Amino acid sequence: MEGADEGIERVVDSKDLQQQSKAFDKLTDRVEDRQLDSSRVQEAMASIAASAEADWQAMRMREKELAAVKINAADVDIIANELELDKKVAERTLREHKGDAVAAIRHLLR
Amino acid sequence: MGASLPSKEANLFKLIVKSYETKQYKKGLKAADAILKKFPDHGETLSMKGLTLNCMDRKSEAYELVRQGLKNDLKSHVCWHVYGLLYRSDREYREAIKCYRNALRIDPDNIEILRDLSLLQAQMRDLSGFVETRQQLLTLKPNHRMNWIGFSVAHHLNSNASKAVEILEAYEGTLEEDHPPENERCEHGEMLLYKISLLEECGFLERALEELHKKESKIVDKLVYKEQEVSLLVKLGHLEEGEALYQALLSMNPDNYRYYEGLQKCVGLYLEDGQYSPDQIDRLDSLYKTLVQQYKWSSAVKRIPLDFLQGDKFREAADNYIRPLLTKGVPSLFSDLSSLYNHPGKADILEQLILELERSIRMSGQYPGRMDKEPPSTLMWTLFLLAQHYDRRGQYEVALSKIDEAIEHTPTVIDLYSVKSRILKHAGDLVAAAAFADEARCMDLADRYVNSECVKRMLQADQVALAEKTAVLFTKDGDQHNNLHDMQCMWYELASGESYFRQGDLGRALKKFLAVEKHYADITEDQFDFHSYCLRKMTLCTYVEMLKFQDQLHSHAYFHKAAAGAIRGYIKLHDSPPKSTAEEDDNMSKLLPSQKKKMRQKQRKAEARAKKEAEEKNEESSASGVSKSGKRHIKPVDPDPNGEKLLQVEDPLSEATKYLKLLQKNSPDSLETHLLSFELYTRKQKILLALQAVKQLLRLDAEHPDSHRCLIKFFHKVGSMNASVTDSEKLIWSVLEAERPTISQLHEKSLFEANNSFLEKHKDSLMHRAAFAEILHILDSNRKSEAVKFIEESTNNIVPRNGALGPIREWNLKDCIAVHKLLGTVLADQDAALRWKVRCAEYFPYSTYFEGCHSSASPNSAFNQLRKNSENESPNHSVGGQNVGSITSNGKLEAFKDLTI
Repeated sequence: MEGADEGIERVVDSKDLQQQSKAFDKLTDRVEDRQLDSSRVQEAMASIAASAEADWQAMRMREKELAAVKINAADVDIIANELELDKKVAERTLREHKGDAVAAIRHLLR
Repeated sequence: MGASLPSKEANLFKLIVKSYETKQYKKGLKAADAILKKFPDHGETLSMKGLTLNCMDRKSEAYELVRQGLKNDLKSHVCWHVYGLLYRSDREYREAIKCYRNALRIDPDNIEILRDLSLLQAQMRDLSGFVETRQQLLTLKPNHRMNWIGFSVAHHLNSNASKAVEILEAYEGTLEEDHPPENERCEHGEMLLYKISLLEECGFLERALEELHKKESKIVDKLVYKEQEVSLLVKLGHLEEGEALYQALLSMNPDNYRYYEGLQKCVGLYLEDGQYSPDQIDRLDSLYKTLVQQYKWSSAVKRIPLDFLQGDKFREAADNYIRPLLTKGVPSLFSDLSSLYNHPGKADILEQLILELERSIRMSGQYPGRMDKEPPSTLMWTLFLLAQHYDRRGQYEVALSKIDEAIEHTPTVIDLYSVKSRILKHAGDLVAAAAFADEARCMDLADRYVNSECVKRMLQADQVALAEKTAVLFTKDGDQHNNLHDMQCMWYELASGESYFRQGDLGRALKKFLAVEKHYADITEDQFDFHSYCLRKMTLCTYVEMLKFQDQLHSHAYFHKAAAGAIRGYIKLHDSPPKSTAEEDDNMSKLLPSQKKKMRQKQRKAEARAKKEAEEKNEESSASGVSKSGKRHIKPVDPDPNGEKLLQVEDPLSEATKYLKLLQKNSPDSLETHLLSFELYTRKQKILLALQAVKQLLRLDAEHPDSHRCLIKFFHKVGSMNASVTDSEKLIWSVLEAERPTISQLHEKSLFEANNSFLEKHKDSLMHRAAFAEILHILDSNRKSEAVKFIEESTNNIVPRNGALGPIREWNLKDCIAVHKLLGTVLADQDAALRWKVRCAEYFPYSTYFEGCHSSASPNSAFNQLRKNSENESPNHSVGGQNVGSITSNGKLEAFKDLTI
């Protein structure tokens, strides 16, 4: 359902404004999608390769690596408070800098 | 689903959905009520009714019904979907996404929900999620064209343009050979151009060019076709072909500067910095002499050589350029030439040139070396040009004499008064500037441009009520200046906000600045509907361009001004909070009982008056809502028209932080961003964030006086802090110790030595001297008199230059005002401030701030002369006190009141 935030019909005084309103309203009109020839579509779908797998694996390795880093919970709180950051951001930065709070802060001050 | 409906009611439910989709809300409401008569607890019907009411501006009812519906049927994907749509309409996108995900958990392959989710992901720039969702949609419905396009665009946005190309090619593979049909030629052509731009973006230039040529017959937009082709040719190094194509483009539009630039690149004569060798200049000159023969009517081909020519050749070309435009009377000539004033030496040449023209026309009515007689207006336009020239060079006295002579020559030319107004503004007399802008306005009451210029000058002169009254002449009837807010008139809101700020009215100032911020929030939301619309229309290049523009939206100068103004307002609010009720009560208790009674009566009376005014205002709003057709157009009443509630904010600094973060993200290369950051974070006691601000200032301009001030202030403050006690403080100290050695200004120096070293490099600059003195005082308050004396010993030297028609001194008005404020506030030496004021009144005789002898603050000023003239022409006016300080909103029209025909 692709609805619009149209309220009660707006009262407009001039023809120009009426045309403007009509044009804006048309922007969010319901329109049927164009259909394509289905036999050709099947061939095309086969050609879309899934290369996302490798990317996902690389990302998982990175996350695993970071999760192994030991960090001080108090440091996370201090960084989050002093630099007004979300705790997740503070924690991630700390992990990326092997738990070194000074190095993490200096990175965040760039 | 929950309880299913009998077939009759099920059909009615479908009608509700269809009515919603086609915006026939009343019909949908009727159908919903019919179902609820028999099944009053049906969750999905309650939800759909709520959603329909939401589109009819009945929001609170809508939420109530939707929540009730969801509560009654938690396992319905329709109820969750509707709840998400409701949140979306209130721009609560994160909540909406949660609802959609809950809906998809129940019905994972629902096309409608996936589509709505993808729209939100695009809006929130969750690009990897967007790709995932578009892929699902394509997998589920590969027959739909929009799903292919959507998936391709998603990959492009997610930085995978080559994948996007693959998808478009697969999509093309699904089309018939004779595609597109006539009614889809534009859409298909746009898609092809998008694909070619993707190939170019991937660096597949040869392939892109080949594809472009192959698909030429299917691409409807021939201009973009040519521009794309020439871009590819140049990148591939096919310069001869590129040159020929640029010539073709120039024949289509010889005033497009980019085509000339492209042509110069193809013949190897373009440098980004414009620093050409004499040989290159000669070749460029030949090129443009050839081009001028081909495009006689183009201004660009005559104007561009002025940028690269030097010396005598420049003078000759400028002379040839200027003469016909003076004869024709082109008012924008100075604007056209103004960028040349940044080139060394050209301003002097222009001055000599124009003065020579002036002299010749005065003596003989002819240009030098010409026999043709010039029309009388040429002298006036020459004077007009000279006035702007001297204004630009800071010689306001000469500029004013030229413009006055032009006005005397032809007093009915509006542009002359506008320029006089601008000169007076630059000279520092804002009141007189506003008066002359009003003169210009009154000469053409039907021109909104001069009206707006007048309003702007009035706001600069802090005449807010008069400005509002003047602006209202062009707003819709009955809307007053609220219409300016509705139409997102940001220049007005910024100028009035700044005026209120100068006058100390923080509530109204914040009100205006936050109004501008809201416009930017609205513009951000405006893109939402286009995520589906542009895929349908296939205007993909423009769509992607819009998305990139939206990502940079808050970099715009107006947002910067509004956010900076808001931050300053909140800081001031923090530094000087308004009197609390408790304090007032305390004052009250000291009064005698009879005085208490009087005070209370007065208070009650004031409250009654305010209430009455508010009611009257509401009545006005209501009245204006009834239009011709008799329907009531209810507009929400502004609950805080004067920004008083904004003053009651609990924590002004945290409000300011919201806007600061936007500036830090979007205007990181502005010194002002980090100055505000420093001021804000020092007040919040966030040492590390203040350090970050200092580092940014040094990165941008280490020699700027403000960078120096912040650097020394920061380390002075840190040096006076107590020893570290908490873990937090220890960590902060560790960071500071690690960072200080990286700051070269402080290498092995005390703060005093750093300050002295800074001065050594900038001892001739007024603003640097002022910064030095201020820091000296901060480091050692006992040396205040030394600091003050140091400032007063500064010298306003004359700038050496060739064409000497009156001197130009180094100091400018803005800097001198800043120094005056410094003496009066930070250094707190009122005698010195007064001496400075008297001294600067000599340098800036038109400045009202310094009460110069020619300013509106003085009886001999041009402005007061104008008023005197008005009085003389109107015998009915009473002379004396009645007119002092008053400015009529109709200017000289008053003088013509008695005119009879």
